[in-house]
Amino acid sequence: MTVAFAVPDVIVARAQAGDEAALEALYRAFETPVYNLVRRILRRPEDAEDVLQETFLEVVRNLKQYRGEGHLWGWIRRIATTKALMRIRREQVRQTESLDEEPGKPGMHIGANLDLERALETLSETSRAVVWLHDVEGYTHEEIAEQMGKTVSFSKSQLARAHARLRRMLDEGARA
Amino acid sequence: MMHCTMEDLGALQAREASVWARRHITTCAQCQAELEGLYQRVAQLKALPALHPPRDRWPVIQATLRAERSRRRRTWGTWTGSLALAASIAAILLIQPGSQTPLHAELSQAKQQSASLEDSLKQYDTDGRVMSGHAAAVVADLEDRISMLDGTLAQQQQSAREDAELVKLWQQRVDLMRELVNAHATRARYVGL
Repeated sequence: MTVAFAVPDVIVARAQAGDEAALEALYRAFETPVYNLVRRILRRPEDAEDVLQETFLEVVRNLKQYRGEGHLWGWIRRIATTKALMRIRREQVRQTESLDEEPGKPGMHIGANLDLERALETLSETSRAVVWLHDVEGYTHEEIAEQMGKTVSFSKSQLARAHARLRRMLDEGARA
Repeated sequence: MMHCTMEDLGALQAREASVWARRHITTCAQCQAELEGLYQRVAQLKALPALHPPRDRWPVIQATLRAERSRRRRTWGTWTGSLALAASIAAILLIQPGSQTPLHAELSQAKQQSASLEDSLKQYDTDGRVMSGHAAAVVADLEDRISMLDGTLAQQQQSAREDAELVKLWQQRVDLMRELVNAHATRARYVGL
């Protein structure tokens, strides 16, 4: 999903002044793109909901610092991405999960009618993040590496491995 | 025959491929099909439908923001109130050195309890944790009431009088502060902070 819309400057200015109606308008304008982005990265819907909430609280707290340079969506997207990646890192520390792709959800049957959505679900959150940020949101490997605190080659190899896995899953689904 | 890896295909897509990969792709039908598949997958990813949040999160965000705003007001009110209080106490001590009435003792006790509850509140991370909508609304309401009470106390203290009304106000503040601390303590127990 690509996002190409703008919020009127007057709404942004009113929101910066703390006008609650303008803040809500801002939330309504970006709730779906933010949720979609973080839900595509994070496996659990409830985590995505929490990140949506955390993102907007941070947006509101720092809105006065937004000076109108660049697209507002770019600024909000960066906050949302950072928060989603932070949550992955926290989870990884908790579960000492491997950064490599993981073999799908336990007990998940990879078979007939496997579509892209389901294939995407089988990737680790790190791989999903790289695929989504690079292929859909248009981040460069340099930007992904910076946001993830990893190297450019890490981002490139994660993307290649994720695509190899997606391709295999889709082929298996088509054959079944 | 050697074929392009997925990294080679990604590099071709980004126009950053090696000379070998660029030459190979022009002659290898298999790798051309793989590259086409990659383009198609990316196009399909972009075309996936948007996922919508299952619940409206605005009420929770709004309640949290109101609570923060109210807390900021209260902190300011408490600070300015403290200055006024300090001035009042100094004035009383200058006018009536050593005086200790039962009313004064009650007032001192209420102020001490209030300060102690303020200290208790500091041990909870009142800003850093996401609350449920209900909890945030309860906290916001308590903070608003304390804020209003602080305004009244600040006015009362300008007169430097220690009457029963002032004691009652301070005792009300203690009750509200206790409820606020309890609200944070309950939430902390629930979320494990």
